[in-house]
Amino acid sequence: MSKKSFFSLIICLIFILTIAVGCSQPAPQPAQKDPAAPTGPVVPDKNEIVIGSVSSLSGPLSPIEGAAFGPIRQMWVNDINARGGIYVKEYDKKLPIKLIEYDDTSDIGTMTRLMERLIVEDKVDFIFPPTGTAMLFAAGEVANKHEKLLIGMSGGASEIKQIIAGMPYFFSALNFSDTQMPALVNMMVDQGVESAAIVFIGDLHGVEYSGAAVPQLALAGIDVIYVKSIPPGISDMSSLIREAKAADVDAFLCFAYPDENILALMQSMELGFNPKLFLTGPGGNFGFFRDIFGDQVMEGMMSWGAWNERSSPGSKEFVDKFIPLYGEPMVDWWGHNLYWGALQFFEQAVEKAGTLDNAVVRDIVATEKFDTILGPTWFEGGMLAEECHTGEVGQWQNGKFEVIAPYDKATAKPIYPKPSWPR
Amino acid sequence: MVLEILDILISGLLNGGIFALIAVGLSMQYGVARVLNVAHGEFIMLGAFFTWTLYTMLKVNPLVSLVICGPIVFVIGYFLHKTLYRRIRLSSESQGAFEGNSMLASFGLLFIIQNLAILRWGSGIKGYSYLNFPVNLGGAMFAANRLVTLLFAVAICIIFYLFLTRTRLGKAIRAAAQDPDAAGLMGVNINQVLALCFGLGALMAGLAGSLLSMSFRVQPTMGLEYTVIAIIVIVLGGLGSIPGSFIGGFILGLVGSIVSHFEPGLSLVAYYVLFMILLLVKPTGILGR
Amino acid sequence: MNRVALTSKKFLLPGLMIIALILLVTSPSYISAYKVMLLTSILMYIVVSVSWAIFSGPTGYISLASAAFFGVGIYTAAILGRILPLTYVIIIGGLVSVVLALIVGVITLRLKGMYFAIFTFGLVELLKHFLLWWEINITGTRGRFVISVHSETVFYVMIIIFVAVLLTAYLIKHSKYGLALQSIGEYEEAAEHIGINVTMVKIATFAISSFFIGSAGAIIATRWTYVDPYIAFNPIFSFMPVLMSIFGGLGQLFGPVLGAAFFAYLEESLITKFPYHYMLIFGIILVVAILYLPDGLIGLAKKWKKGSLSSGLVELLQKRQKGRKEV
Repeated sequence: MSKKSFFSLIICLIFILTIAVGCSQPAPQPAQKDPAAPTGPVVPDKNEIVIGSVSSLSGPLSPIEGAAFGPIRQMWVNDINARGGIYVKEYDKKLPIKLIEYDDTSDIGTMTRLMERLIVEDKVDFIFPPTGTAMLFAAGEVANKHEKLLIGMSGGASEIKQIIAGMPYFFSALNFSDTQMPALVNMMVDQGVESAAIVFIGDLHGVEYSGAAVPQLALAGIDVIYVKSIPPGISDMSSLIREAKAADVDAFLCFAYPDENILALMQSMELGFNPKLFLTGPGGNFGFFRDIFGDQVMEGMMSWGAWNERSSPGSKEFVDKFIPLYGEPMVDWWGHNLYWGALQFFEQAVEKAGTLDNAVVRDIVATEKFDTILGPTWFEGGMLAEECHTGEVGQWQNGKFEVIAPYDKATAKPIYPKPSWPR
Repeated sequence: MVLEILDILISGLLNGGIFALIAVGLSMQYGVARVLNVAHGEFIMLGAFFTWTLYTMLKVNPLVSLVICGPIVFVIGYFLHKTLYRRIRLSSESQGAFEGNSMLASFGLLFIIQNLAILRWGSGIKGYSYLNFPVNLGGAMFAANRLVTLLFAVAICIIFYLFLTRTRLGKAIRAAAQDPDAAGLMGVNINQVLALCFGLGALMAGLAGSLLSMSFRVQPTMGLEYTVIAIIVIVLGGLGSIPGSFIGGFILGLVGSIVSHFEPGLSLVAYYVLFMILLLVKPTGILGR
Repeated sequence: MNRVALTSKKFLLPGLMIIALILLVTSPSYISAYKVMLLTSILMYIVVSVSWAIFSGPTGYISLASAAFFGVGIYTAAILGRILPLTYVIIIGGLVSVVLALIVGVITLRLKGMYFAIFTFGLVELLKHFLLWWEINITGTRGRFVISVHSETVFYVMIIIFVAVLLTAYLIKHSKYGLALQSIGEYEEAAEHIGINVTMVKIATFAISSFFIGSAGAIIATRWTYVDPYIAFNPIFSFMPVLMSIFGGLGQLFGPVLGAAFFAYLEESLITKFPYHYMLIFGIILVVAILYLPDGLIGLAKKWKKGSLSSGLVELLQKRQKGRKEV
């Protein structure tokens, strides 16, 4: 191609691009308008609350999305709309919710861009969180920059505690290692566990859980035989399991994701490794996990969590509503009641605020207490208060996920040692 | 010590069997049909999902499912070549253009199949338990289902190799692999043969998926990791060489199990290091021409 | 008359270029903030695709190392972003990529075709897994926050890289190096015989083209706010430039530009309009496009130039009909 046609094509392209991008919405902003001037509806007339969601509907994170917050988001929106919406005083009526959903394809660049799009272009009233810890951290920055309330659901880490101080708009609903590990270690000591092997996945989640476990176990006098990292996507864990079996450890703790936890459990059965305590998390807390292995195998298996329908009257109501819609294998016995509780909390916060102004709602979220399925619910330093958790560690007993630690929230006593694998 | 070595060796072979099977399949598609099918893993995923569905819905034994899933996936692959890749072959100006275009089309297929699977089965993780008890081999313990997988993978590869070397059709395929134009002149119906090769490649992927589902999780996004492994193995073994892919699969399995014995965090790094060193030492693969 | 036309034409093109560029540069004042981000993203894909095509287009060596260069740039920004000014970070991101490209270039001299492609893909995975292992076991961290930069700053930096990569691509193509690269692609041994320093030309071009990918990674990382090895070394950035360039049409500088712009825009529209079916639609478009546009978008443009679009299509159909009869 000649030099001329090359450049002319480039020119055309730039024109087309600028125009295509500029015109893809029917009414582009006039150039003379000050972009800082408020463009939202000044007249208080509104017929719906628009909530934007960017989550991993496809790609490697999609299994987590589909099992954790995804169904709760849909169910909550349908539930609110079935009741006519949320009453907002400013407009003096109930406003139904309109959900705008985007797929970030499990790519963080796409997620941050689309989250900004929701805020600056679609001008949504509120945003819902993306999937996974890394995504949440990135979204927290974006939300905070635009002063949009973001309540993190599936994902999180104690590291959030340090950064959350600088992000007043970011809250986190899920419980993790800082409250779970002490409960677990305490329970292990009481049960007489003497040695443990730790496998953790090579990411923030794994680093954090193993980082919390090692010193606490050591302090409690439990012998840590080994601490090993595995890469995501590992296809053979037999050497790790053989080593744990050879050392005859009491407890096998696998701080990885469902992918690796399924492998760990399968290979443990296959190699006849029967530790007295076997914890997989996140993994064992999902209904689908039990669906794969069946009640007999899962008997005595532990995971993070935890809650069940006996945790509170609201939890029973939630389960009765959820299972007919999605089925028992779709229940997440770690996060679902926290997510649902956080959304009930959010609904009441908006109602109390009487406005969709994020700054006002944010202040209410930060300071108020509301009743949810978790009981009296409030946030402390950006995190859901520990008192609101319905449990920290759970165990499968007779096909039910029972809360076993801490003791004051337990629905059953721990089974220790775990029964051997069925034949 | 001896037991430890036996452990490492056998678990390497167990992984290698599956690697070999999926690589032989891709080798048919790339070595003969010249399609670098990046959607290879999606056929594995389909095989796994069919088997899972049959097992959980109708309690069909996964080994029986092999005979059901294999032909289904074969037919899909065969007609894909007949309709899609043949047309691309005709409309591409050169061999290079065909390879580029067919890879692009495979990417399209990857997206289509994965999305359909998510719509049909949801994005969640599935699985089932079958033959998941230990077997004692000279003191070393191994999973029954992985042993069965290895036996079936080796048997399928051997049957396939005999088919290629002993039958008329197999000879036509090998002729087409060496020189499609000459084979065409010799009276081989080249389009038929290429479609058959592509279908057979898909068949191997489907069978591998059925076998895999016994000992691994099943989910719509599982395909790509197997595709990557298959590509590594066919390059390792020498492009277009079926025995090379077979041996390459086992070598990769062994290296993985040796490294993960010492440092599981580096097992994936080891694959690539091995592979890159091998390419530098012998740039045409183990059995490359 | 003739001379006037010539001179006016001579000024017309650069003039139009400048107007187009001005339009692009001033766009933040009349399009919304999100559109600026979308344009940034599109420009990023163009930069990566054109950089890829500078080396791989003429030589036919399919490099899948783009994600490695991109990731190196991203990690440079993550590590140095807080201690160095932005300009330095971007330049260092590019330079680290160049060093990596030089090393890869030297050790892969013997590899051709698929072997080169797979080797470079292995490099991405190797770097990713190694960095992951290193961060966990040696530095004890995994994710890193990247210092945030205003979206318009990112946009302008991306425009600068975009202009630089287009100029570089153009200059290389129309210099003796471009010719040398072309001859390497056609017949490497012959190129060597006529006195071209094949090794030097290949490595130098590979290294130069990697600079832009690395610096694009360094600047875009500031929009991602949080990265880890899995995010930074996403193999999608190895495949995307190849797909986009083939889709646009190889062999012409304009092909990758067009392909990248089209792809990036299409993907964004689909994931926002059809979040649950976007892969399906994207896949179908890809397959249909290959069936009917075997020479890429640029092939369509050529046919359109030759005659009308419809006659081009008729010709295409006739060609296909003929092909069918031969079977």
